Amino acid sequence: MKPTMISSTARRKPRARLPVAGVIGGVIVAFWLVMAVIGPYIAPHDVGGVAGDAVFAPISAEYPLGTDYLGRDMLSRVLHGAPYTIGVALAAVIVASFGGTALALFAAASGGWFDAIVSRIVDVKLSIPSKLLALIMIAAFGSSVPVLILTAGIGYMPGAYRISRALAVNVQAMDYVQAARSRGEGLAYITFYEMLPNMLRPVLADLGLRFLFIVLLLSGMSFLGLGVQPPEADWGSLVRENIIGLSEGAPAVIVPAIAIATLTIAVNMVIDGFAGRKRRGG
Amino acid sequence: MNSTTLRLIANRFGAGILTLLAVSVVIFTITNLLPGDAAQAMLGQESTPELLAALREKFGLDQPAHIRYFHWLGGLLQGDPGVALANGLPVAELIGSRLPNSLTLAAATAAVSVPLALAIGIGTAMVRGSLFDRVVNVATVWVVSVPEFLIATVAVLIFAVKLRWLSALSRADDIATFGEFLRVYAMPVMTLCCVIVAQMARMTRAAVIDQLNSSYVEMARLKGVRPVRMVLTHALPNAVGPIANAVALSLSYLIGGVIIVESIFNYPGIASLMVDSVTMRDMPVVQACAMLFCAGYLVLLTIADVASVLSNPRLRK
Amino acid sequence: MNENDSGIILPGAEHGVTRRDAMRTLLAGGMMATTAGGLLTFASPALAETPRKGGRIRVAMGAGSTADTLDPAKGGNIADYVRHFMFYNCLTTIDAKLAPQMELAESMTTKDAVTWTVKLRKDVRFHDGKPLTPADVVYSLLRHKHPASASKARAVAEEFTEVKATGPNEVQIRLDSANADLPALLGTSNFAIIRDGTTDFTTANGTGPYKCKEFRPGVRSISVRNENYWKPGKPYLDEIEYFAIPDEAARVNALLSGDVHLINAINPRSVPTVTAAAGYTVFESKTGHYTDIIMRDNLGPVKNPDFVLAMKYMMDREQIRKVSMRGFATIGNDQPIQPNNKYYFAGLPQRGMDLDKARFHLKKSGMAGGTVPLVASTAANGSVDTAQILQLSAQKIGLNLDLKRMPADGYWSHHWARHPMSFGNIGPRPTADLMFTLFYKSNATMNVSGWKNEKFDQLLDQARGETNEAKRKQMYTDMQVLVHEGCGVGIPIFNHSLDGFTKKLKGYGAHPLAGLMGYMFAENVWLES
Repeated sequence: MKPTMISSTARRKPRARLPVAGVIGGVIVAFWLVMAVIGPYIAPHDVGGVAGDAVFAPISAEYPLGTDYLGRDMLSRVLHGAPYTIGVALAAVIVASFGGTALALFAAASGGWFDAIVSRIVDVKLSIPSKLLALIMIAAFGSSVPVLILTAGIGYMPGAYRISRALAVNVQAMDYVQAARSRGEGLAYITFYEMLPNMLRPVLADLGLRFLFIVLLLSGMSFLGLGVQPPEADWGSLVRENIIGLSEGAPAVIVPAIAIATLTIAVNMVIDGFAGRKRRGG
Repeated sequence: MNSTTLRLIANRFGAGILTLLAVSVVIFTITNLLPGDAAQAMLGQESTPELLAALREKFGLDQPAHIRYFHWLGGLLQGDPGVALANGLPVAELIGSRLPNSLTLAAATAAVSVPLALAIGIGTAMVRGSLFDRVVNVATVWVVSVPEFLIATVAVLIFAVKLRWLSALSRADDIATFGEFLRVYAMPVMTLCCVIVAQMARMTRAAVIDQLNSSYVEMARLKGVRPVRMVLTHALPNAVGPIANAVALSLSYLIGGVIIVESIFNYPGIASLMVDSVTMRDMPVVQACAMLFCAGYLVLLTIADVASVLSNPRLRK
Repeated sequence: MNENDSGIILPGAEHGVTRRDAMRTLLAGGMMATTAGGLLTFASPALAETPRKGGRIRVAMGAGSTADTLDPAKGGNIADYVRHFMFYNCLTTIDAKLAPQMELAESMTTKDAVTWTVKLRKDVRFHDGKPLTPADVVYSLLRHKHPASASKARAVAEEFTEVKATGPNEVQIRLDSANADLPALLGTSNFAIIRDGTTDFTTANGTGPYKCKEFRPGVRSISVRNENYWKPGKPYLDEIEYFAIPDEAARVNALLSGDVHLINAINPRSVPTVTAAAGYTVFESKTGHYTDIIMRDNLGPVKNPDFVLAMKYMMDREQIRKVSMRGFATIGNDQPIQPNNKYYFAGLPQRGMDLDKARFHLKKSGMAGGTVPLVASTAANGSVDTAQILQLSAQKIGLNLDLKRMPADGYWSHHWARHPMSFGNIGPRPTADLMFTLFYKSNATMNVSGWKNEKFDQLLDQARGETNEAKRKQMYTDMQVLVHEGCGVGIPIFNHSLDGFTKKLKGYGAHPLAGLMGYMFAENVWLES
């Protein structure tokens, strides 16, 4: 089977149907979004309900996803953790990617001093370990959800900025941008109508991954006591606190990891599937 | 190398120095903002006011912050990064014993991950839309979405505990042969690759695809240029910019961000030194590590920028 | 670092194994039979096995950082204590019944517990060949008094008004007030004897069973057998490599993959994994570590004793023991003296969970239906898990506990005992007197709940110098009752210590002070071929 190679999209038959992968991804994402809202309400147990004896219990009728290291029902833990993982990560990635990209676009478009200064500031920020930054933010502002979002967002914005800027610089050198410039188009127009659409695919690809990094960052922060307060926990923390059960093959470790994986793969499938349509040749 | 490139490098160098300076000030300030200081961290539960005062005087912590900073800066400019507060060892020695480890691990990981990522990215770009492309895409995202400590722990359970092929610890001390090198580095490198390959691969794929959609590639295709050559000589050079940036970002993570791998494999690198020192509020060590991370990052970035300029003729103006 | 506090060794007699399930029998049964006699003194090793000389082991423990030190005065975590016992000796050693036994001292005599005459063992040499002299002892003890030494034992050393050589092998110590426990205090690793004038601790020059071949703080140390050790036949091992693996899962995996021979601080939940593996065993030591709930200020014993009682009655100790430590713990009774201490008052009625009394006191305290923040951290072992159980119990009596988990970083300097309710973690102390003086006396800096009881203080000072054993025991009994009834500290359990090792390692025993045989394993274990 020789797959079609490097053929221009103009050649292909216009796609009448939706991309399969994108749809599957969309369904999963929609499912998790719904869970993020109603999850805590439909969980069979309290998030902190300690069953006591059955630690790392396997899947059973009473505990559909097993129990964790304290004997708590994993299904409930995962459902209660959904709003934290999904909500915080979503908000943070929007801050990071959109903020970083917007900044990068303006920096690249205006060039000169603005570009130089912003890039240097971003470089400085990138040199600071996110753990240190998280410690400071939490010590200064407390460990609440908005602070977590801000910390994760700021932590990942420079990366998004860097990548977007490299793309922007590349695109800026293209003919159509030069043409628009010489036409006398305004900065905003050039940015949003000429440059952005041609950067969108890689930026969205990056956003998909950035979302994933933020989900994982939250687990790291919880480990330091900087994340959501117990007994609440996000999915990454669920994996971390139950890691001991791994050698027994306990569902407590595997289930939240699968939850993370399905969520992030789904997000990326959606981006791959639908973002592919927003393209502009030339 | 033409003069543009040289000028770029010179500019970067100058800006780099400024950035290093700025980073040192920022790190110093925010670490000072953290509650507690080295004396408190050292004494822990046993601290009494007199003991604290005595230790503070010994460490020079009773002086105001800006004086301490200039002290440190002055020492650094003369080539002496100071002495670690926690144990009195010279910082240069402390770092010197660990830096080669971190660099080795980073280099080994880069040697495996970058070619792999490029291969995946270019390969999937060339066959985009096909089943292979989709499967590989999902696989790369899946691999990166498994938390690092989970991958490492699974690897250790399988290869070290059950199979006993590899050792659970990465002891950099006793390596004599290449075989031993592989044994020690196999799992950490594999874990780290799982973390960083995805971003580089996806960025590569996206950037290459973008180039493949452009008119000059269309032109080349019409001219009958063979597909592989078209990708490698026409599309790829123009995609170098964003690819190089993604690679630089991922590799810079390898210098300072590998704390989990260092912790699980007990690998004595710079990342855990930095984390320990922040906890102990050991300012000279923290500063030195921060300088290192920053310098490493800037070097990588400069290489990325130079590469993107060199490869894109339009940017050489 | 941050292995909570300095944990100056607290020994205590370990009993035989009490009621246990099959698994636990496996643990204790696998190793030396635990006898009531001085199992861990330097006398005889295991009963039925003859030690074999030779072999090299690798030991991995849970804590270690670039703050590791070979200076006994600064010793602050497990890594330090183990190393200090490998390279140095103290004047005395603390055996499994918390009784001091002679070590570098041949005898320690006194008439009034104020002036002590120490006769030193002859023919003991440092690793560099120089003989042990009184000057070394004087230097080693007095240096703790200088603030610049940052000694963890400064509080104890302040009692020394005079330490001087009074003969070719004799030292006289004069205290500022009577303290019958001096021999036990001198058996802690902080008071290890170093050579007169030593200020450089990049290596260790001591009289101990091992010499220091390599020491890289935060990386590893290598000890080689001291061929001229003054205890005949010891030590058995050729070499010990010692380093830290802070991540517990990694530590367990290192043991099970054969990379190391001995590890400590096993999480109770990992025990099934280790015992299931062929060739490995877990060893439980009933140590006196406790993680306490501290109530102070407006929720403490001075301003709100009813709230304190409410909390104490509400604690579901069995559940905490089961869930937090998977049963590897002893139920505590809100006072710090552990059951294997000779002054332990067994007659103190065990306070159990009594929700009615808890509700009653809660109402009297005026906090019924209220929300109270509870500060915990992974820095205080098991506090986060315990806190979550407390949350559930509190709901049953109409109290809402709002858990605030703080990062381990900086916990001791900034959060421990600085909130109305927080958790602390105390390691065993060699003597009841030291425990009470450091943490429960009215004016102690670490009296975390602010409890003040004049009678307690009086008893404490009296008991310290009391040489009549019966009287002393009665005084300590009364003090335990006072703490149990009035102090603002809740102690649900005493955490046990879990070590794991290959079955080829022999000579291991439990020590109530701490795991790793009270940190003194190096001298006592050997490797089977």
